[in-house]
Amino acid sequence: MTGIRAPHLPEAAIRARARDGTAAIFPSIAGYGHSLFGAVPGVEPAGDELDLARIVPPVFVPRRLEKLFDLGREPLYGDVDLTSGIGGFAAPVPVFLCAFGSTQVADSGLGLAASGQAGRLGIPMVIGENVVPMHGYGRSGDGPAHGLLGRIRAYADAAPDGLGGVVVQQSTEDADAEVWNLVYSDPSATALVDSGRLAFELKVGQGAKPGLGGMTVLSRAAAVAVSEQYTVDEAFGPDAATVLRSSSPGTFTGEILRQQIHLMRNNYPRARTWVKLHPGRDVRQAAEVAWSAGADAVTVDGAEGGTGWAPSVFLNHVGLPLAECLRRIGKHDATLLVSGRIWEGSRALKCLAMGASAIGLGRAALLAASEDAADGLVRLVRCLELELRLLVSALGKYHVSELTTDDLWFPDHTAHEERGK
Amino acid sequence: MTETPLRTTISAGQLPPVTGEHLLSPVTQAALRIQNNITIATREYLGAHGFMELTPPLIGPVTDPGCRGAKQVDVDFYGHKYKLMTSVILYKQASLLAFDKIFYVAPNVRLEPLETATTGRHLAEFTQIDVEVAGAGREEILDLLQALLRHIVGHVLRESKVNFAALGRDPEAFEPLLRKEFGRMTHTEAVARVRGLSHEQSTDAEINWEGERLISEQTDRPFFIVDYPKGSRGFTDGESRTEPGVLRNFDLIAPGGFGELCSGGEREFEYRRLIERMRETGENPAKYAWYLDIARKGLPSSAGFGLGLERVTRYFAGLDAVWQASAYPKLPGIVSP
Repeated sequence: MTGIRAPHLPEAAIRARARDGTAAIFPSIAGYGHSLFGAVPGVEPAGDELDLARIVPPVFVPRRLEKLFDLGREPLYGDVDLTSGIGGFAAPVPVFLCAFGSTQVADSGLGLAASGQAGRLGIPMVIGENVVPMHGYGRSGDGPAHGLLGRIRAYADAAPDGLGGVVVQQSTEDADAEVWNLVYSDPSATALVDSGRLAFELKVGQGAKPGLGGMTVLSRAAAVAVSEQYTVDEAFGPDAATVLRSSSPGTFTGEILRQQIHLMRNNYPRARTWVKLHPGRDVRQAAEVAWSAGADAVTVDGAEGGTGWAPSVFLNHVGLPLAECLRRIGKHDATLLVSGRIWEGSRALKCLAMGASAIGLGRAALLAASEDAADGLVRLVRCLELELRLLVSALGKYHVSELTTDDLWFPDHTAHEERGK
Repeated sequence: MTETPLRTTISAGQLPPVTGEHLLSPVTQAALRIQNNITIATREYLGAHGFMELTPPLIGPVTDPGCRGAKQVDVDFYGHKYKLMTSVILYKQASLLAFDKIFYVAPNVRLEPLETATTGRHLAEFTQIDVEVAGAGREEILDLLQALLRHIVGHVLRESKVNFAALGRDPEAFEPLLRKEFGRMTHTEAVARVRGLSHEQSTDAEINWEGERLISEQTDRPFFIVDYPKGSRGFTDGESRTEPGVLRNFDLIAPGGFGELCSGGEREFEYRRLIERMRETGENPAKYAWYLDIARKGLPSSAGFGLGLERVTRYFAGLDAVWQASAYPKLPGIVSP
């Protein structure tokens, strides 16, 4: 299929899930009955803090006993309830589709394929702020089918009644394009608005480049067209065929964020209000401002997250990792959504246990859609769903909201604590 | 000779007839005659009080962003993205560099959300009587607006007697407006009143349309709602220096369920405050370069208002929907000439 790459994700495993579905979450069944399986000895676990954390089922499981009372039989993993409220929407699994970076969105068919599949799954879908400037609204023939409205239609046509929702981002410069005003007054969105399944997401920042605005590589010709709106930089040299287009990060203070949210709620009373934050060191404070101003959801991208293209120094050195964001924010009653290199059940469960209400699929969703435009994302989510059921039930719990940090073990933290003794 | 009044009532959500039929309707004609007298009276009053009438700009690189959920119309201006005016507020402020008291009879285009097509109060294309006074405070402007409206009513009742009779509108309905001071309540009081009528209303948003209609039904003369919370209006509405978070603005609400006729207030005019307020309303200051450039050098302080011509006509004529007061009504989302 299409040649997108995600060097920091296990691409082969993701593609296998997109191709083979839930069979791919097990070792090859060809070896069943012949081979012996187990953790591979001598291989040190690697990855970030979330990867290194282990999920630790207890021996004693009082909640399973409660479930046993309810059911009148021993509970199984199929009894785990994964239905979730995600920022004002209902979803069958605690999963949503993240906005894609411009580099991938440039691959026009993928956004549309992923939209239809997210709709079928009934999971909320975020449409990136870059879609309108890159691909147009798609209204009155002014843009291709994969423009903003094309993606909304693909989603809405496939979504089951009462599930999911579409979330449209806007950032500082995109306010010029009036993306929200357009969507709110467009007939294509009426059904979503009427069924309470439209949200607007204020993009304050993103994981791949905390503190910077969006960046896109453009041909010189394309750059001329947007030069009134964006800063264009000859960062690749005066003779290069391409230039760098930068958005501003936008200036925020507590008061600016609070009032922007108030205005969104005032102007779009029938839409939900989401806020996306970058993994800043004051992420808890910012999330609390957003919630208290009435945001239905706060999304945090870990520094390892984002499909966006960014200067290497930002990718390697800037922003809090997801685990630290979760630790700083802690459990809240409000909706906290997170993303950052999530593609399977264990990382998803660790985020949920640390306080997230749902997890976002970004690059993994793109890979899955590129592997199979009709069913790849659906299969990837089915895999994640089955793993979540298995893991949650192993913990003796039957709803994702029951997860806590007791369900996790952090080797580093234990080491720290022991050194401190 | 007494004639039977025309049938002016329409059913809820009824759309205008085809253009020819609408123009031939005696109801339309009577409403437009009243409207004509409103603009004559406005010019008469403001002209006598030292106001300059300017012709309004129609397009510009930016327009008023403070219009609840309404999309602006883009215009290709020789390859640059321009906007049709949603209101001339930025130009009103700038014009005060030349004259202290100005007004426009200005057309506006706002692609309002589709849900507003059936409120009876929204047109995508409408006209505002736009007034701005340098150095004025809100109180002065409220007095001006009350006096102007009384002058207009006096003139219209005199000159449009026949039209009022034809529409079956009782001139007595305007007695309280002419005799009593307009009422006044804060946004907080208005919220409490709407909630008291068992209608949902957020404390930090504009009064919703239905709520406004409900409280409008309970009075016999127009009244002002003042002190809207920041976060419910655009960046030009001035914030109180003594009560942060409270705007020095107002809406004028007509009695009898006719709802809002006019918005206005003191304006932000200082460069740094404008920038802050732009950010608080999600705007990109770079867009407003020409306006901020003036503000940096010194924009006069001012207050003013925009009075909806079709809405005032509808109220005077006692019509069910504002489209009945427009020759070529354009309702949100409805394709029409």
